[in-house]
This record gives sequence, C-alpha cells and structure tokens, in this order.
Amino acid sequence: MIQVEHLTKAFLDYRRGWVPAVDDVTFSCQPGEIFGLLGPNGAGKTTTLRMLSTVLKPTGGVARVAGFDVVRYPEKVRESIGFMSAGTGIYERRTAWELVEFFGRLYQMSPDRLRSRMETIFDWLQMNDFRDVMGAKLSTGMRQKVSIARTIIHDPPVLIFDEPTSGLDVLVARSLRQRILELRDQGKTIVFSSHDMNEVAKLCARVGIIHKGRLRALGEPAELLDRFGQPDLEELFFHLVRIDGDISTVRPFDPAL
Amino acid sequence: MVRWSNVGTIFRQELQDQLRDRRTLFMVFVLPILLYPMLGIGMAKLSEAFQEQPRRVVIAGCQNLPSISTESTDKTAPPSLLDPTETAFNPTLFESPGDSSRLIITCDDDPRWLDPDTRRSLLRAGEADAVLVIPPDIAATMARMQRISIPVAYNSADERSQITYLRITRLLENWNLAIVEQRRIAEGRPEGATDPVRTEAQDVATRAEAGGSVWARIFPFLLVLMALTGAFYPAVDICAGEKERGTMETLLISPASRAEIVLGKFLTILFASMATALLNLGSMGITAFALASQFSKMPMRPNASGVTALLTAPSLESAFWMIALLIPLAAFFSALCLALAILARSMKEGQYYMTPLYMFCLPLACLPLVPGVELNAFTALLPVTGVSLLLKTLMQGDYTEARRYFLLVLVPIIIYGLVSLRWAIDQFKSESVLFREAERFDLRGWFHHLFRDKPRTPSAAQALLCFLLMLVAYWFIAPFLSLSAYSLLIMQVLVILGPPVVLALLLTRDPVLTLRLRIPKAADLGMAALLALALYPLVSELRVWVDALFPMPESVRQALAGLKDLIPDLPTAFLLLAIAPAICEEFAFRGYILTALERSYRPAWAILLSALLFGFMHVLLSLFQQLFNATLLGVILGLIAIRSHSIFPGILFHLINNSLAIAAGAISSDPNSRALSDRLFRDRSEALFHWPIVLLATAFSAVLIIRLVGTMPRRKQPTREPATPLGTGQVVS
Repeated sequence: MIQVEHLTKAFLDYRRGWVPAVDDVTFSCQPGEIFGLLGPNGAGKTTTLRMLSTVLKPTGGVARVAGFDVVRYPEKVRESIGFMSAGTGIYERRTAWELVEFFGRLYQMSPDRLRSRMETIFDWLQMNDFRDVMGAKLSTGMRQKVSIARTIIHDPPVLIFDEPTSGLDVLVARSLRQRILELRDQGKTIVFSSHDMNEVAKLCARVGIIHKGRLRALGEPAELLDRFGQPDLEELFFHLVRIDGDISTVRPFDPAL
Repeated sequence: MVRWSNVGTIFRQELQDQLRDRRTLFMVFVLPILLYPMLGIGMAKLSEAFQEQPRRVVIAGCQNLPSISTESTDKTAPPSLLDPTETAFNPTLFESPGDSSRLIITCDDDPRWLDPDTRRSLLRAGEADAVLVIPPDIAATMARMQRISIPVAYNSADERSQITYLRITRLLENWNLAIVEQRRIAEGRPEGATDPVRTEAQDVATRAEAGGSVWARIFPFLLVLMALTGAFYPAVDICAGEKERGTMETLLISPASRAEIVLGKFLTILFASMATALLNLGSMGITAFALASQFSKMPMRPNASGVTALLTAPSLESAFWMIALLIPLAAFFSALCLALAILARSMKEGQYYMTPLYMFCLPLACLPLVPGVELNAFTALLPVTGVSLLLKTLMQGDYTEARRYFLLVLVPIIIYGLVSLRWAIDQFKSESVLFREAERFDLRGWFHHLFRDKPRTPSAAQALLCFLLMLVAYWFIAPFLSLSAYSLLIMQVLVILGPPVVLALLLTRDPVLTLRLRIPKAADLGMAALLALALYPLVSELRVWVDALFPMPESVRQALAGLKDLIPDLPTAFLLLAIAPAICEEFAFRGYILTALERSYRPAWAILLSALLFGFMHVLLSLFQQLFNATLLGVILGLIAIRSHSIFPGILFHLINNSLAIAAGAISSDPNSRALSDRLFRDRSEALFHWPIVLLATAFSAVLIIRLVGTMPRRKQPTREPATPLGTGQVVS
C-alpha cells in the first residue's frame, strides 16, 4: 500500500528561489486498487511519483510505500515497487530476454525463480516471438511489453505507472490498460498517472486531480462529479483549473517575474 | 554495503553492450589493429618519397680551381674540390661518399652568375639552390698560403636552399681540413700539430637501451593518451547515452545502490580503457618490429643506428611495469570520465566535455617529453605526469630511481582515482545532475540566488572556491609585499584568513557555525594541548625522515636561512610562525573548509579531504617537504575540530605544535641551556628527542588519537536544517 501525507518537493530556481513542484499532497492507495493521478503536463505528477520511487527526495511531508518510509528505507522501497513511465527506455543493445533477466538479477532473484518467473511473464504478455530480438529492433508495442515485464519481474506488491500510455496508439494503449487491470486483480497496489481524463475514469477506483503542484480534489470519480456538479471528469478538471485561474488573476502584477 | 553480485551483473551487461556497439568495437579493437600497420606502410612509402632530391649547385668560375690531380702523386698539391667529371663534388670530401650524388653541380661560366644582382634574382627564381663563386686568383692565393674566401649565395627563406647551403658549408669545411692535412704531410709535421685534440665517443648504452630511451619518451605519452581516449567514449555512452535513451531512471529505481551502479559502470570503462591502451601498444609494437626488420635488411648508413634504436622494442620487464602502472592510471581516467559524463544530458553534450578534459590531461602527459623534466618529489605527485615519468624511468632501466619513487607515484594516483570515483558516486546521488533540465543560465539570477538563498553553512563547492581564492590571493598579493617580517604577517592575514572570513560573512547565514566559533569545553582544550605536546617528538622525527628522503635543494635551504634572518627576536618568531598560522590556518581549514566538506561528506572523508587541501596549500605556498607533516597534522586537527565542534582547541594544538618547533630550535642552539638540551635531545643540531621520549610520547598520543577516533560520528551528520526553507505547511507559490 501507499500512504502519502503532506508531500512537498521544491526545486531551486535561480531567478525565483525555491519553487514548489509538489505542494502538500496527501493521498493513499490500497492493495487491489488503482489510484489515478490526473493532471495536465507539468502539474507535478512525475515529481510525486519520482519521490515515491525514491529517486527524488521530498523536501517536506512523508511517503510510505509497502510500509517503508521513502527517505529512511529507500532500498526496501525500491525492492517493493515496479516503476514504468512513458519515458522509460529499453537498452537497444540487449535482447528482450536479456533486459528482463538483467533486472531480475539486480533484484537478487535466484536463477531458478528468475527463469520460471520469466517464462510465466513472457507467456502472459505473449513475448516469446521476440524474446531474442535486440531492443533497437522492437516496435513500440513490443517495447511496452518488455517494459511491463521488467516492471513486474520481481512480483512487487506496488506498481507505479507514470503516464504509461502517452504516445502509444489506441490498440497498444488499450492492451496495456487491460494488463494493468489484470495486475490489479492479482492484488497489486497501483498508482496510475495520466493527463487523459477518460482513461483515468475507465481504470481508477479513486482519483486525485493535481494542478500546479497541489491536489485540487480527491475521491471516487462519481462522487467527485456529484460534489462539484460536473457531467464528466474533463469538465470537472476545467472547473477546478478555472477556480485556480481566478485566484491567480487576483494576484498583483509583479514586473520582476 | 556494496553487493558485489550487483556490481558484477551491471559490469557484465554494460560490457556486453559495449562489445555489441559497433563504434566502440571500432575504436577499441579495429582501429588499433588496422591503424598501425597502415601507418607503418605509409611511413615506409613516405621515407622512399622523402629520399632527398638532389640539390642544384651552380659553380661560377670552375676554370679558376686548381687543376685536377686526383691521380697525381704530388703530395703538395691541394685535394680537388670537384670530381674529375666536374658534375659532382669530390666524393671523399663527404662523410659518406654516397652523399656526393645529392648535390648536382653545374659549371656555368655565364656572366649572369657573377653579377650579385642577377645572381640574387636567379636564386630567388629557383634557377639554382645555391651558387659558389670561385675567385679568379684562387690557385695563386692558395699557393701563397693566404686565406681565400668563397662566396656562397643562397636564399634562407627557401628551406631547400638553406639545406643546400648547410651541406656546402660542411663540404668546404672538409675541404679545408683536407688541405690542412695535405700541408701537414708535405711539411712532415706530426698529426698533433694541426689537430691536437679529438673526441672519441664511447656510448655505454647498448642498442636495446638506446632504443629504450627513445621508447621511454614516446611510450608513456602514448599510453596516457590511449588510456584516456579509451575511457572517454564508453563513459559518454554508458552515462550520457543512458540518460538520452531513457534507461537511466529505470536503473536508478532498481534495487542496485548508486555505488553499485557507479562501480559496475566504472569497471566497464576501466576495461575499455585498458583494452584500448594495450591493444594500441601491442599493435604499435608489432608494427615497429616489422619496420625494424625491414630496415635491417636495407644497407645501413653508419648514422642509422638511431633508427634501429627507435625501432627496438622495449624489454619484457618494462612491458610488465607498463601494464602494472596502467591499471591505476586507467582507473583514474575512468573515474574522471565517469564523473564528467554523468553531468551531460546527452551524448552530444558529453562530447563537449572532451576538450576541457584533454586540455587538463595532455599538458600533464606531455611534460615527460620535455627534456630535463625528471621524477622528483613534486612531479611524482602530479596526477598524470608522475605515472608517465615513472614509466619513463623504468623503461630507461633506472630501477633504483624508480623504486625510490614507486610509492610516491602510486599512492597519489590511487588517491586521485578514489577521489574521482567518489565524485562520480556523488554525481550519481545528485538529483540536479540526474534530472537536469535544460535551464537557461542567468548570471544575475545566480548572483541573486547566492545572496538570497544563503545556506546556513557553505557547500563542498564553496570549500573548493575558498581554497582557490587563497591561491589566487597569494598570486596577486605576493609580488607587492617586501621581504620583511611584517609582510609575512600581512600575507597570512590577507591570503589565509581573508577568503574564508569574507566567504563566511557574505555567503552563509551562520558565519559563527561555519567558522566553528563556539566556546570549547575545557576537556577538549586540555586534550588538544596534551596531544600537541605528545605528538611533537614524532613530528620532528618525521620532518627529518622527509628531509632525508627528499633533500631540499641548496638554494631553498639558503632562502630559508635568509628568512630566519628576517625575524629579529623570539617574540616576533612566535607571532609570525606560531600565533598567526595557528589562527589563520585554523579559520580557513578547520573552520570554513572542513564545515563545508562536512555538509556533503561523511566525517572521515571530510577530514581527509580538508587535510589533503591543507597539505597541498603548504606545497604550493611554501615547501614541498611540508606536505607530509601538514597532511598528518591536518587529519588530527580535523578530528579535534569535529569532536569539539569548536575551532579553539585546534588553534591551541596548532599554536603549541609550532611554538614547540621554535622553542626546540632556540633551546638546542642556545649554549646557555646546554644542560636542558642534553637532557631532551639526542641530536642537538636537528632537535631530535631521546628515543625513550619519542616512544613514550608517541604511545601516549596514539591512545589519545584512538579515543578521538572512537568518538567520531560514523555517518554524515543529519543536516541541522531542512534541505530547503520550505517545509510542511509553508506554502510559497
């Protein structure tokens, strides 16, 4: 499970000083649940998820992944998660099989367990046709499958998907979502970020809408639509952003910025 | 804890990646195998093409020359300048008779050659490479035994003409000698009358050794170059390239720790670097052998031994040393390249870093090529130069000298390698390096940031800045100070104390914490004082050992003695050599620099780095011989500072240590205190204590140091402030 409380991350900008990219974000996600992080580009989704995966250190607040604090036990956290993003590349000079095997070894899996697990996953994702093809020659869909296989090779309890479908064609994206649902049914704790409202509505039991680093709304999609009186997530999103925009226009104009 | 299985997994995979990369394969394996044989063939062909073209010499006034009489038995006749056909010079006048064919002569009576103006323009037009004008009265003048002069016109702006002129000069000298010899025989005088002294060269180097000395210059340089090139390309590929291809983040999220990732990548680069260097050298060696055997089949000219010497390969033993020293050198380059390459966002950006890297390494590698640059205590410490000089010494077969410097070269290069590797690991831990976005650098914004977002204590980079500022200040202030006692004081205050105090006041929020200006505990003061007293006998032993190992040049010794004359009395000596350094150096090194390093490193590393900087400062501003003592004392002073959280115990230690040196000198040289000095010193001139005192005091100081180390915090101190001013609940937007 994932617990995030008042998580904050500020970056140093030479002109503006400390600028928060993620500001006081709180949410949680249970096993067998997909939590959706919804927001436009630059809202702070990637920064939040990078903090959960321990590659960025929070400047404030607490995050626990699979029971481990991300600051105090980063190694434990990394062992318990699988992370995949749209930007995740694959090694061009390794075959699909070698790449997955490489990560399995880094997770200290025994050779026997690694082998049987790999066979299972390659069967499940139907990757046996291209297991010996070099990364450079794989199509986008194949690359996505390799990435998923790499993400789940060590059977982690927590999975983090950072805009995994961005840039994919409809078919590949759909098949990817299907896999994520299957993983949820296996009891994984899943965080899924996207800027695509419909996608999040299809997948997630609960969503958090994030804009300019702050969580604007948190709850089940239907309940949120009710609360704000909006017909769908997209309208809800614009509604929330508009409120934010109103606030920003009140701010006095600062010529220095 | 480093899990070596992870390091091994990463190393194997990276290596496989590199071996599958066509560019790397080409650079590391194919290029050296193809390049050198090609170069060899090219050289053989070129040397044929360079067979020098015969030069054209016009002789005006051939008929004036004394009549040709080679077969003449007349011993008094001078030897002829030309051969009988009058198309070449007399072959016996050349060192090697074949050389006469390289100068074609034309006897031309055309009056154009006699007029200086037309001669000049003809020469400039390239009608001839040089013109000899034989004076009409030459035979008569020679017979009267008067001096004749033969004008040789040439064009020094034209290289061919210049060479021709040099050859003719040589030839005329030989003619001169031949005439003198002729006259000596004719007069029946002994050989020594005209040629009283002659040198006889006796080169004791064998041909292999002569070869070694040529190799000894070239090989270390090439080895350095190849090791660097071999490290650079793979480093950029597996760091910047990995970022560019989007696999870096995946690797960082794997359970492999940063240190394991860095080590795995480091070993890959090290392997590539060594493979490149060895393959290049191997291929070069084989090409050289082939060339040598080709040359040996050719008819040899007597002065061709230089060529064979060049082509004789080095001995097996030097080859072994080369490989043994290559490992630490390649490790240093690999760590350096790794740390640089991770800074780059893309392969393209990575390539940009090559120029500064080569600008830094090449001059260091070129130093041994300069004649007269030899291994000494200072050059041994230079990062690349030390290794290549040691290689040069080994390949020249000077094993005694090499043995003497072996550790002094090896230890520093290993330290440089470790520091670079540590830097690489730090880079891999830095968020701003790993996830660097393309930001516009704005100088004004940066200055604003420096003053607006001041940290509580300085960063490691600022520690380095402080050190460099001290050096720069020294460079600019030193020329303006006269040589007097008080300029020494001003210098210490401006150069050593100034930069850290100014930086602490300007760029930190808490100068008091930065400079450790805290009231110390009495116990810490007491311990510092005891330790200074107990350690002093060992310190003076060390000084003498270092002096014996690395003797000071006489000029330095005299300069030092001159410095002593500047100081009028004992109180001034205490002020200048004890009080001032104790305060200034502690503020700088245990105050500002150590605090800054402590923020980024574990205490052990911070102490070691600050002590090394302290040692280097002494080398750069004072004497090389102080490096060892200063570094050792730097470590102990660092321990004291970190334990006591205050600068004052360190100042006290420093003060006592320096005062003891002054006092020991005063006591041992003062005839009035003979009784006291006899009781203290076994060697009065060097102020060395009796052995029991040394042993007892050292044992006692060891106990104190062990206690100090025992109370040292093992881990990096948790920052006493949040990393950013923003915390929970504080919203800035």
